[in-house]
Amino acid sequence: MTSNRTESTKASDDLAIQTFNLTKIFDGLIAVDNIDLNVRRGELFALLGPNGAGKTTAINMLCCLLKPTAGMATIMGYDINQHPFKVKEIIGVSPQETVISEHLNCWENLALVGRIHGIKARELKIRSQQLLETMGLAERAKDQVRKFSGGMKRRLNIMMALIHNPEVLFLDEPTLGLDPQARRAIWEYIARLKGEKTILLTTHYMDEADFLANRIGIMDKGKIVALGTSTELKISVLEKHTMIIYAWNLTQRVINEMRSKYDEVEVTNGTMIITDKHLDFKEIVDLLHASGAVVRSAYIKEPTLDDVFLHITGKELRE
Amino acid sequence: MRFLDLANRNFKETYRDPLALGFLLAFPLLFMLIMGVVVGGETTPNFPIGVIDNDHTQVSQAFVDEALAEVPALEVSTYDDAATALKDLKFGDLKAYIVIPDGFGQQVTQNWQGDEANITLQMTYDESDIMISDQVISIINTVTRAFAQIEIPITINANPIHVETEITYIDFMGPGIIVFGILILIPTSARIMVRDKEKGFLARLLTTPTKPVEFILGYSLCLVVIAIAQIIIFMVGAWLLGMDIVGSMWLAFLIFFLTGLCSIGIGMVVASLTKSENQAEPLCWLFAMPLAVLSGCWFSLEIVPSYIRNVAYAFPYAHAIDASRGVLIRGVGLEALGTDLLFLVGWAVVIFAIGVILFRRSMRS
Repeated sequence: MTSNRTESTKASDDLAIQTFNLTKIFDGLIAVDNIDLNVRRGELFALLGPNGAGKTTAINMLCCLLKPTAGMATIMGYDINQHPFKVKEIIGVSPQETVISEHLNCWENLALVGRIHGIKARELKIRSQQLLETMGLAERAKDQVRKFSGGMKRRLNIMMALIHNPEVLFLDEPTLGLDPQARRAIWEYIARLKGEKTILLTTHYMDEADFLANRIGIMDKGKIVALGTSTELKISVLEKHTMIIYAWNLTQRVINEMRSKYDEVEVTNGTMIITDKHLDFKEIVDLLHASGAVVRSAYIKEPTLDDVFLHITGKELRE
Repeated sequence: MRFLDLANRNFKETYRDPLALGFLLAFPLLFMLIMGVVVGGETTPNFPIGVIDNDHTQVSQAFVDEALAEVPALEVSTYDDAATALKDLKFGDLKAYIVIPDGFGQQVTQNWQGDEANITLQMTYDESDIMISDQVISIINTVTRAFAQIEIPITINANPIHVETEITYIDFMGPGIIVFGILILIPTSARIMVRDKEKGFLARLLTTPTKPVEFILGYSLCLVVIAIAQIIIFMVGAWLLGMDIVGSMWLAFLIFFLTGLCSIGIGMVVASLTKSENQAEPLCWLFAMPLAVLSGCWFSLEIVPSYIRNVAYAFPYAHAIDASRGVLIRGVGLEALGTDLLFLVGWAVVIFAIGVILFRRSMRS
């Protein structure tokens, strides 16, 4: 198997996905712009970005559906341009749209992909059963899937990408358009796959990337504009801290005292918001107590990935 | 075999969809039933026609007295000159009159002996009633061909001429209705293929090691099964409605099957050129409607100008109707269908090849 794997990646055997200047241009529109990406084996990597950022185009190139305009990529060492069929054998893809055969039941949908990958009937049956049970579809396995809810269809969509036990899994917006409960169920299942498989996931939900990913690449206008773990990304934008306090009996004296100590202090209706580079939580609460104020709650606001996105691109990552 | 798995999936997707199945099977059947009720029934038409024999040979005599006279749908009267016949035609006493030209007998004899012959009849008919003149033309044609195409040259009296004794309207229209049903395979095929393209099923499976040719085989196999099922239903339906099957059922089936392949090929071309069902549907009818009109399934092509007829015979459907009428009504065999069958095979091969090339190309983008 290794004979076909390219020289350049032998040195970095722990990398499952590697891209070099990967670029796709559609009629003058740069959809994916010079992406260099390394995803380690067993890692869950999320591409986070708004619609139209180029996430799906990037995935489609890695799945050998689109030819790159420039640059190259390897999946488990196989060049996507030179050995597309080798790549297709070892990847599993769950596309953004739910693509299932509506008049087939779960077994039949899974069997179709399984057989295409040449899985023997006995193994197929065992794997299907396992997947149906872990994904909670075992009871509905023999129903035509057109009767399923959106969440069930999405789960089957992911199962079809897993039936042949792929080495690398691509999940393109796995919870698109689902209600919170259904999203949770899918997150829990994806979390279980973590470490077992290399997963490249795209999403425009920041909480999804935050909850699931080992590392996150933030994409905007075809470029990866920031890359790191969720914490790393948040720290990178952490220039000022914000503390929010809900309290009764805030006197003008203590407000003035706070203003003399910290950069920004806003008070409205019993809520005090303090922003500065350094905040001492205990000192602030003690000062308030000493002034006779009753502190009902106080916390330092954590930055979100949305803040990261806002900081880098100057716009909000809309959900 | 991946294409078998794909074909199996395509087939299930179709037959488990009540709407699709209804369109495939019930619509043509319903259509046939309506046609049957409208035009069928027990009544045998009775058309008064005139005959002027300018040949005055034994052969022409036999043609008039035995071949034409034996057809119950015709009420034959002989005339001495065309002028009188024309007068009767204009008064409505005749639906048509035939002039048997000088040399008719000789030409027919030549044909019997296996030599090349040019058999012509001159026919004047009442144009105002297309349906009736159509049938008269068809009947005269049938009778003349049956009369002239006897293969073993022996005396007429010793050789009974096979003339289908009851050519009812359903006999004449049956093959046309069946071919029209097969024409509807164009939108059916296009729909089945373009639907998968539109919904991303093709793209999804292109991320697996499936090769384009396996997709095409998967669709073709499924559609061929559908075509076979449709043809069987049509033939049984037409038979139940009273269409006689004089010739070989298998030969008729072969003709319809080849026609079906042509429809599937055209459907594949449409599916390659379009991206969604909404685009494919009108494009299909843009192909199918003129093809239906030109196939001769509604009216005999013998009444249209010759240049239109030439266009019509450039497509497979007119050949299919001619050939299947020949088999079903007249009982002609394989040897008489050579050109029509070759044309159908050629058309099926070429359109399929074009469809495969275009569909492969459309999958790459």
